[in-house]
Amino acid sequence: MHKKFLKTTLCFLTLLTAVSLAQASDTTVPTGLEIMTRVDDRPDGDDRTQMLTMTLSNKSGRQRIREVKSYSKDFGKDKKSVMVFEKPADVRGTAFLSWEYDDPAREDDKWLYMPAMKKVRRISGASKNEYFMGSDFTYDDMGDRNVEEDSHTLLGEEVVDGHDCWKVESIPVDPEDMYTRKVIWVCKAADMAIKAEYYDKDGLLKTFKALDFRQQDGFWTQFKSEMDNVSRKHKTVMEIDSVKYNTGINDNLFRVSTIQRGNIR
Amino acid sequence: MPWLEPFSLTGWAEAIQSVRTHRPNDSLTSRARLRLELEADFNVFYGFVSADAEKNWQIEDETGIDLQEAWLEYAADRWDLRIGRQIVIWGKADGVQIADIVSPPDYTESITRDLDEIRIPVDAAKLRLLGDFVNTELIWIPVFEPAVQPSGDNPWAVETDLPDNVHVTMADVDEPDTSMENSEIALKVAAYFSGLDVAASVFHTWDDNPAYHRTIRREGDTVFVDYAPRHHRLTVLGLEFSRPWSDFVFRGEAAYYIGKYHETNPTALDPIQRDLLKWLGGVDWTPGNDWTVIAQITGDIIMNHDARMADEAFETMATLSISKDLLNQTLTVSNMLYYDLNENGIYIRPKADYALTDAWHLMTGADIFSGDDGRFGGYRNNSQVWVKIKYSF
Repeated sequence: MHKKFLKTTLCFLTLLTAVSLAQASDTTVPTGLEIMTRVDDRPDGDDRTQMLTMTLSNKSGRQRIREVKSYSKDFGKDKKSVMVFEKPADVRGTAFLSWEYDDPAREDDKWLYMPAMKKVRRISGASKNEYFMGSDFTYDDMGDRNVEEDSHTLLGEEVVDGHDCWKVESIPVDPEDMYTRKVIWVCKAADMAIKAEYYDKDGLLKTFKALDFRQQDGFWTQFKSEMDNVSRKHKTVMEIDSVKYNTGINDNLFRVSTIQRGNIR
Repeated sequence: MPWLEPFSLTGWAEAIQSVRTHRPNDSLTSRARLRLELEADFNVFYGFVSADAEKNWQIEDETGIDLQEAWLEYAADRWDLRIGRQIVIWGKADGVQIADIVSPPDYTESITRDLDEIRIPVDAAKLRLLGDFVNTELIWIPVFEPAVQPSGDNPWAVETDLPDNVHVTMADVDEPDTSMENSEIALKVAAYFSGLDVAASVFHTWDDNPAYHRTIRREGDTVFVDYAPRHHRLTVLGLEFSRPWSDFVFRGEAAYYIGKYHETNPTALDPIQRDLLKWLGGVDWTPGNDWTVIAQITGDIIMNHDARMADEAFETMATLSISKDLLNQTLTVSNMLYYDLNENGIYIRPKADYALTDAWHLMTGADIFSGDDGRFGGYRNNSQVWVKIKYSF
């Protein structure tokens, strides 16, 4: 009887320990790298289509509009995407095709079709730090950047506009990078950066804020965001419309021969 | 209206005015042009028509309305077919034509127009077989289209100084008739791999420029030269590649012209037929911060060169293009330099392009020629500064 009681108690204690350990691992604080890897790996379907509108404002309030239709599709861990510029009129029909590889050691392949030249031109895959169409977003800011290109440190937890966030500092591995550091607030519920500050050697360069983000078709999506370039006194509001996931985009769309036609279809 | 949805009408209007930097400081370029482009997108079927209306105060012949392109395309998964008047552009070169000879050039304003403005459309059928990485392109051109050279009162027409005792007559250019046997046929295979684009082509064509055949009569001290210009068949073999590496893209292009006729030095000799190799090597550098630098070296090599030819056996030219975007990419400042190593001639094209709004662009620039002779030095008195305004819609 005594032996049986002892055995039952032991089993109960073992179970209790296992449950406690499991609970403890759930509340383990993730590292900065783990958080940014989760942001990078956030589910976004196998393919996606969207219309991007950027409103650029300078310090005197003059506005310029850029509209881009964007298609992208995952090919294993790699991604292929096509962007077709709709506005302004003088660059209408310009198409940008990129094959982005998961392996950071492998350079992305990029081609540009310019309607005036009526030909496709191979472009360098390395210059991701340039501003996209005169906006305040660089190609890197728009999602091209590999997680391994920065070292990430968790600074703490903060609430941003009612959302519980991880606060992460990311410092570029490359000392020649245009940013010296970034501070990023990642929404815990969405695994999405909803606020960020970008610094260069002169201090704060620009701030990013997600103004409208929610789930569509089960995927967290940023519908409206802004990038305020403090040093240039220039701001870009990016709005996303007509978002569609998993529509089964034909692989042919991501061939050089498709953008060579000058009309994407 | 839903039936209008597949259609879209776009275009631009521009006006350019220049002043010669040499005396008499008159105008060399003065024109206004409206371009309309109509697209019809019916999914697998797609149609495109573009037309220009131009008023040219400098070269009267250019005034009028021109149909540019008018073609219909059908696109299937593994092939597409484009039939009609179309511009076909080949090659990897920047601002220079090596294997890019399907659409002939219009040199009405010499080379001062941008390369995309000087292509003449051809009536053609273009079939492409589309692989995932390799495309095969077959082009049939049943109607011959010659290059356009400046002539008459055009300030870009090249004058030939002849001795007083030489009298010249010029017959009409003998152009090939439109027939099956006179068709031009092009085949190109292009591959787009990860980190490398390569292409090979063969083009059975007609020389876009005629060879100036001649007969000579002498009566005493007077020489009569009767020119009978004629276009000749050419077969051109082309090779091209581009390879990115870090911030650079390396490019190369070569074209071997079989049976090309070359102009001769003395007015007494007929053009001489020799094969010609044109080649180009170049590098694009995009170091960031909206800088772009493009350097190229290009050359012509005449096989079995004859000393009586007007061109040298080896002719070499270098180009350097530097461009920088400023003011949140509203201002682009650029310069393109051509340097003719044989003749020591230089052509410089500085330009500033400012976006007043998304639709309005104000541009200013110059075409500066220097040297004693050759393709650039010959225009040393045609250096000009210009201003252009362009509205896109």
